[in-house]
Amino acid sequence: MEITAQQPAAPLSLPTPPPDKLLDEGPAIAELDKVDSGMDIDFQSDSLHTPVSGPTQVGSGGPPVNGQAKGGGFGNGDGEPTRKEEGRSEGGEEVNMTDVDQRPPSVEDFDLMTTLGTGTFARVWLVRPRGSPPTENAPLFALKQLKKVDIIRLKQCEHVLNERSILEVCRPHPFITHYLCSWQDRASLYILLEYSPGGEIFGYLRRARRFDFQTTQFYAAEITMILVFLHNHGIVYRDLKPENILLDARGHVKLVDFGFAKVVGDRETYTLCGTPEYLSPEVIQSKGHGKAVDWWALGVLIYEMSCGFPPFYDNSPFAIYEKIVAGRISFPSILPEETKDIVRRLCTKDLSARLGNMCGGGHQVMAHPFFDSVHWQELENQVHPGPIVPSLRHPGDTRYFDQYDPPPTTARDEYTDEMFEKYDASFHGF
Amino acid sequence: MSLPEAYLDEVNALNREILKSKPTDVLQFCANFFNRRLEAQRVEFLLSASNNSGFSSSNTFGAMPSSSAYGGGESLFPGSVVNLGGPPLDGNRESPFSGTIREEDEDVGQSPTTPSFRPAVLGGPSISNPSLAAPPLSPGQSLFSPRSRFAFGNDQPPHPGSSHLSPSIHLSPNSASLDFPSNYNMGRRTSVSAESLVPSSSNEEWNPPVYPKTPEQLGRLKTAVSGNFLFMHLDDDQSGQVLSALMEKPIPGKGTRVITQGDVGDFFYVVEKGSFDVYVNSAGSMLPGLDGMGKKVNSIGPGGSFGELALMYNAPRAATIISTTSQNILWALDRVTFRRILMENTFKRRRMYEAFLEEVSILSSLVPYERAKIADALEPFTFHPGDVIIQQGDPGDNFYIIESGEAEVVKHGAHEPVNRLTKGDYFGELALLNDAPRAASVRAVTRVKVATLGKDGFQRLLGPVAEIMRRNDPRLAEGVDPLSNVGSPGPSGGFDGGKDVVEEAAGRGRAVEV
Repeated sequence: MEITAQQPAAPLSLPTPPPDKLLDEGPAIAELDKVDSGMDIDFQSDSLHTPVSGPTQVGSGGPPVNGQAKGGGFGNGDGEPTRKEEGRSEGGEEVNMTDVDQRPPSVEDFDLMTTLGTGTFARVWLVRPRGSPPTENAPLFALKQLKKVDIIRLKQCEHVLNERSILEVCRPHPFITHYLCSWQDRASLYILLEYSPGGEIFGYLRRARRFDFQTTQFYAAEITMILVFLHNHGIVYRDLKPENILLDARGHVKLVDFGFAKVVGDRETYTLCGTPEYLSPEVIQSKGHGKAVDWWALGVLIYEMSCGFPPFYDNSPFAIYEKIVAGRISFPSILPEETKDIVRRLCTKDLSARLGNMCGGGHQVMAHPFFDSVHWQELENQVHPGPIVPSLRHPGDTRYFDQYDPPPTTARDEYTDEMFEKYDASFHGF
Repeated sequence: MSLPEAYLDEVNALNREILKSKPTDVLQFCANFFNRRLEAQRVEFLLSASNNSGFSSSNTFGAMPSSSAYGGGESLFPGSVVNLGGPPLDGNRESPFSGTIREEDEDVGQSPTTPSFRPAVLGGPSISNPSLAAPPLSPGQSLFSPRSRFAFGNDQPPHPGSSHLSPSIHLSPNSASLDFPSNYNMGRRTSVSAESLVPSSSNEEWNPPVYPKTPEQLGRLKTAVSGNFLFMHLDDDQSGQVLSALMEKPIPGKGTRVITQGDVGDFFYVVEKGSFDVYVNSAGSMLPGLDGMGKKVNSIGPGGSFGELALMYNAPRAATIISTTSQNILWALDRVTFRRILMENTFKRRRMYEAFLEEVSILSSLVPYERAKIADALEPFTFHPGDVIIQQGDPGDNFYIIESGEAEVVKHGAHEPVNRLTKGDYFGELALLNDAPRAASVRAVTRVKVATLGKDGFQRLLGPVAEIMRRNDPRLAEGVDPLSNVGSPGPSGGFDGGKDVVEEAAGRGRAVEV
């Protein structure tokens, strides 16, 4: 649920934002008709910038996952774009705009407006369907572009395929960036996602230096709900950090970047991945790891939000790992006792004592005194806005995102015919 | 008696600074360091004092905001935090999260000099919006170095209603005593990842490479890696395989570059013979030209090692290493081999534990997921011949499975051992069930490797064992003595783990399916 002019206001006890703060000042519905009908996007999804479906469905787990892939024919061998299509039913009605036009989506269908983020082999663009009017209320999306040549060079093929399929599983969760569709062309893979205009929690945290107890608690609570959901689906996330947590227009979290997420079930997995400050001892020491690594990372996150810096840091990564393995955490004395306690219980090397990994799972985390004042049901239903509500002048306002250099125009690493022959089959199924 | 933590933190920070700067005048350097620390803390203190007075007078800030600030439906200051501070006291509040701040338009109370932590400060790309940009800092300067902290106090005393971008709004009022590390890099962090590794299946056994070494060479290598945490927790098998996999790499000639700063790294090296200099260019990678290698920071001789981060994932090399003698020998180990050895061993051991656990009668009702969980938490231990593993009459806490070696069960009054235990046998599992003292002793005959878990750990993971047993044994719920149907009543009586059950377990343990 997002704040739009069409939607009922948030509960009365809340300060009502002055009208000029509202995101959408004019009726957005009218804009839909002008949108290029060739777009193969599920406009009925409750993503932020498609405020077209009237009352959007939110909360209590959202609609069931029935957006199963309907076998978009791929693998025709001559490099033609392939795709996955998603149908999605809301209120029992099957929404399938793909019947309108069988043309697979292509990057040509979008205006790439600006870069929202970059990674080692990915770039995330803010995009607008091409042909949609350049008004402030045009639907906006985040388009993640992954270069095949870099994926192969960095041997990340498996992670990329995981990312797409897991995002699909996570579609109903309100605190996970909604996946819309994916396709590939000769050189790149594309994942179309909803756009979360609030930017990374990371930015707010560094500007504020540290969050007060309630702000920390709020984000930690929403993240906990995400972890419980993911773990129930047998998914380990493996890259929790403020950089991967975005805010939507009402200040609720949206977890992004599922590049390291993996379906592990109850088994252990062995590939080292994550972010140095957030790695757990069992990952560093190659002992095999499972869902418990996310609970460790939650402890690091709570510490970092409360203190402004993570519990284990150093100038060199190797020195960070030494500290993590040694496991000594020093707390600023001013931290509330509940904060210290939950961090200690989450960041414990002993897997039989780590909160979240014990009997009761994530519900034990939720029951910790740190979360005493949290009303979990209200949180899930997003009854209240978050503690920080981004102030957006228009939906396409990207002020909360860093500025990035445009991609280099010289194609230095080409995806050659040779590579295509050798590797392209590994992207089938994307 | 241990030193206070705060003191250790200070001294450690100083140590790091010293290592970084290598000052010639050490005393002056230390004095300056502590003066800077003092100054920084004082500024924080003053800043916090001004925050407190300012906020409390405005009635929307402070530790205990008045309830009207919540209930009125409107915040006095659209840009302010209404519910800073302690736990909610007002029972009328519907949600702890009802207090809301809006990120403010930057033209409100925002000065171009406001410290902000947009990436421009962090050495990233520039920012077009000048009001979001911070005053320029020199590259590499820490945001929270004493100097930039000092700037908060001088440039912009925060005031109520000022922009969220001012540094103090989300601070709890007295949080100034939380001290910021002066050397923490506040930039965005990139993820790291190693190659995907999947354990080999049972029918295609993977064998690590073996490069023969003399016992002396092995001894030297062992010492060389003993202080490295990546090697410290390895068991004997893993450690033996890892040491065998180190490959000899002669480096002929003086001035040969072994690794280059900024390059990708796949190998870890131990110096067998010769010596090497370490250079670091502050630009982060070696540059062309005479001084391209940067400053010499260290040299490494026999027994030394370098490139250890490459054992974890492919990260750019942090230094350039160059030989300084004409005859050099290195031992090299690549990441994939290292990680694969660890993984294959761990994987096999896990499956073995799970198979052993399947045979433990009081745990027979565990579902695979639960066995995996216990296998995950089992801790390995090694006992030497003659060591007593458990002592008759002692309170029982832990449960043990024998991974390798041979142990004997002895009882007071019996001259001969009453039982012998080998791979796959388990003992002490009744400790999971009750607090009865050990009914016998178990002593290592050979070198014995066990995996063990305590009652507390077990219960934390799965809940009370009695509950678990009750799942498929209704008699237990009716008050029948659980011990009466535990294990087979061997010579050790209620001691558990009858030999015949155990033989089978050991057999199963060897035939682990993947």
